[in-house]
Amino acid sequence: MGCDVLVIGGGATGLGVVRDAAMRGWSAVLVERVDLGQGTTGRFHGLLHSGGRYVVSDPRSATECAEENAILRRIAADAVEDTGGLFVTTPADDPAYADRFLAGCAEHGVAAEEVPVAEALRREPRLNPAISRAFEVADASIDSWTLLWGNARSAREHGARILPYHWVTGVLRDGDRVAGVTAQDNRGHREVRIEAGFTINAAGVWAGQLADMAGCPGVTVVPGKGIMIAMNHRLVGTVINRCELPGDGDILVPIHTVCVIGTTDVKAPTPDDLSIARDQVQEMLDAGEVLVPGFRESRALHAWSGSRPLFTDERADGAQDTRHMSRGLALVDHLERDGVEGFLTITGGKLTTYRLMAETVVDAMGEQLGDPRPCRTAAEPLPGSEDGRPYWLGSRLRRQEEVMPDDQLICECELMQRSRLEAAAASRPGLNLDDVRRVLRLGMGPCQGGFCTYRAAGVLHAIGDADGPRADELLLQFLHHRWLGIEPILAGRGMRQACIDDWIFQGALDVEHLPVTPPA
Amino acid sequence: MTRVAVIGAGLAGLVCALRLAQGGADVTVFSRGTGGLHLTPGMIDVLGYAPERVEAPGETLAGWVAARPEHPYAQLAGAPLEEALDWFRGVAAPLRYGGDLAANMLLPTAAGVARPTAMAPAGMAAGDLRGGRRVVAVGLRALKDFFPAYLADNLRRAALPGGAAVEARHAVATWSPRPGADVQGHYFARALDEPGARAGLAAELRAIVEPGETVLMPAVLGMRASAEAWEDLCERAGAPIAEVPTLPPCIPGMRLNLLLTRALGEAGGRMVVGPEAVGVDGSGGRIDAVRIRDAARVRAVPADHVVLATGGFESGGVELDSYGAVREPALGLPVAGPPGGGRGLGPRHLDEHPLMAAGVRVDDRLRPVDASGAPVWGNLRAAGSIIAGAVPWREKSGEGIAIAAGHRAACTILEDT
Repeated sequence: MGCDVLVIGGGATGLGVVRDAAMRGWSAVLVERVDLGQGTTGRFHGLLHSGGRYVVSDPRSATECAEENAILRRIAADAVEDTGGLFVTTPADDPAYADRFLAGCAEHGVAAEEVPVAEALRREPRLNPAISRAFEVADASIDSWTLLWGNARSAREHGARILPYHWVTGVLRDGDRVAGVTAQDNRGHREVRIEAGFTINAAGVWAGQLADMAGCPGVTVVPGKGIMIAMNHRLVGTVINRCELPGDGDILVPIHTVCVIGTTDVKAPTPDDLSIARDQVQEMLDAGEVLVPGFRESRALHAWSGSRPLFTDERADGAQDTRHMSRGLALVDHLERDGVEGFLTITGGKLTTYRLMAETVVDAMGEQLGDPRPCRTAAEPLPGSEDGRPYWLGSRLRRQEEVMPDDQLICECELMQRSRLEAAAASRPGLNLDDVRRVLRLGMGPCQGGFCTYRAAGVLHAIGDADGPRADELLLQFLHHRWLGIEPILAGRGMRQACIDDWIFQGALDVEHLPVTPPA
Repeated sequence: MTRVAVIGAGLAGLVCALRLAQGGADVTVFSRGTGGLHLTPGMIDVLGYAPERVEAPGETLAGWVAARPEHPYAQLAGAPLEEALDWFRGVAAPLRYGGDLAANMLLPTAAGVARPTAMAPAGMAAGDLRGGRRVVAVGLRALKDFFPAYLADNLRRAALPGGAAVEARHAVATWSPRPGADVQGHYFARALDEPGARAGLAAELRAIVEPGETVLMPAVLGMRASAEAWEDLCERAGAPIAEVPTLPPCIPGMRLNLLLTRALGEAGGRMVVGPEAVGVDGSGGRIDAVRIRDAARVRAVPADHVVLATGGFESGGVELDSYGAVREPALGLPVAGPPGGGRGLGPRHLDEHPLMAAGVRVDDRLRPVDASGAPVWGNLRAAGSIIAGAVPWREKSGEGIAIAAGHRAACTILEDT
């Protein structure tokens, strides 16, 4: 297989890069070691930043966020819910920060307006009534998977090939030039060789490992692990931020039918460490109490962790040449830095700035190739967003009402129909139930897979996508993966649900004695 | 007349209340909801895995409780359990429960596992896989909770004693009680109470089934508390049919609930659904009244005896707070949490999670005890999955514990009066 541009990493950045390159007319291929959006992109809190969070601590990122926020509302409307955002000064916050915040917003292009406390409390009745100030900003929530699929579809329409479950095993070198990769196709169980004129490392928190493989050592991406907890209801309808310097548990994001509190920041030993420490769970719940009194009594639905790619360069020593932009977004030019041609690394950044990161690295590639071509991603909407209408909470229900008499509802919590599951399986044979979850939100609602898991395995078996042993494995694997995010936060009604689910799966179905070995 | 307040309307609470009413007590069941039987598949598990699959539950129980003095069966195995199951068999006669403590049946689950259970209604017992069987799993096109091909596929690979094998194929029937692609099980069940509907389904089954086959169908063959619809359908189809329970709500559990609540009413017992027990009044080690919260007030309901049958975590009978503490919310009884004092949760879903066995400890008369082993109240008993020490869905022991404890609690109250 050969191409002009090979992109490594199927997160938002990689998909943004492959779309951008394909739109500029280069033949492009993307490889992802597991499923698209299975890394940091699918493991965040769902916040489309207004920029307000960074106006004091990281003004450059603040401006980037503000600009990209406006662009994404246009090009990815389908993924964005216009919740609006509030920064509030709680009794636990330094009251002097609010004025620095307002000044920072004004200076760095982040729209913010003070609203009376009474008005903020009218809008958000559960908010801590002891807040002393409130500021309205353009925060929104964004579904990173919808964003990702939009980019993937658009990239394919422009001729790109996207290969999930392709694990890079080696980087090809042709003298001083990176010439592509070898990868293990974990679905086809074979090794593939992809030759590329140019290779872009968009592996996010794994970018240092990839640079090592390419013979460019010392690119250090520190996994800044954070945990997030989804609560069963939208305790707030607006994104709520603590008006203080960025800290732990200072953001509450309403997204889909839940709200998500985030997050912590702990240096993880490896990017693959997704463990959820109990003390961090307690810290998040305490933080939730500061924003919404009674938070602990609400039902926690699911917890997860993700690692931010925090870039440091051992070779740069503070020099500006290898890091073209602020600490948020890091472009590493391996020609300048390592004397290696045809290879660029883009890392750091935030979901909100994924498009800008893509534009930045593809621009740099064009420059190195002596073939600069203009970027069009800021103007051209993603498929599904052409009408510019943002996502709204009732959109799934509306679709369900249209098909109700003719279709079966497989996941009642997330309104997922059988026809949609069958279509997903037809377009991606061999998918697992976590893949289905990332596309169709299977099992993400209040019962956390209690009813839909058996049905989804049954449907995939019925249409011939999975044989008996595979269906068993899918079922057990999904239950186990759900457990990883449920166990750390088990309490109250969540505990009750978990036990009801155990009655269903172990009590009624006896799944622990299915004729397969439970997957590791 | 002795006044007894039973709190909770699951299997344990209903068994206890019915036995008490039959024994002449003045019984009222207080239940926050409609009870947990709607969620259960209607089999009577006694002990299915220990942890290997149990062939003879009666025999295995002796060794099981010797090794587990904290298990509910330590107070119930032997005569109390046997008497309770004999009593239950009589009470549940219209559903024709078969099976006993001598040997577990192996009944197919909707996922195609040969699952051990001690007793089951005749319609389910007909699917016993011991000794092997030829089956055709027949789904209903508009019912999404039953996948006949998946069931058949797994049954072919089921490990049966003595190397017996299941020959399995599958088919789908299109009969439906109403239009639409997504029809809930209870619509099928209610419709199949009528002979005309059964004739329609039977016509399809006759065309599907081959001689020597047992038809495995989702357990939606009639809603009434009797075996009549199932028997009639077998006759009309000209083939043995076995019901396989589906996802909740489970019709066989609903039938059993209907049977027990009706029998309770006929025996003079009362049910009050909605109010919540929030405490007790008492002195001198005895309860005088249960405090019941109605819509807007708390009132004291006088009682000579109280039975707590509020279930485990799944029913809200035991609660875990966000700091990790376990409590019994209705009466504030002492709770035995996971042994060793840790969280009691393992990293793998199918691990044993000791926290799940949390509950109240009881003495030999099923009275909740404190840390020193003394009864908290002389006239309070506990029954069912609120009793600490069991993880019923793993052990497949839930109904055995519920029936034995409910029955035993009633008998000890009747002895005391």
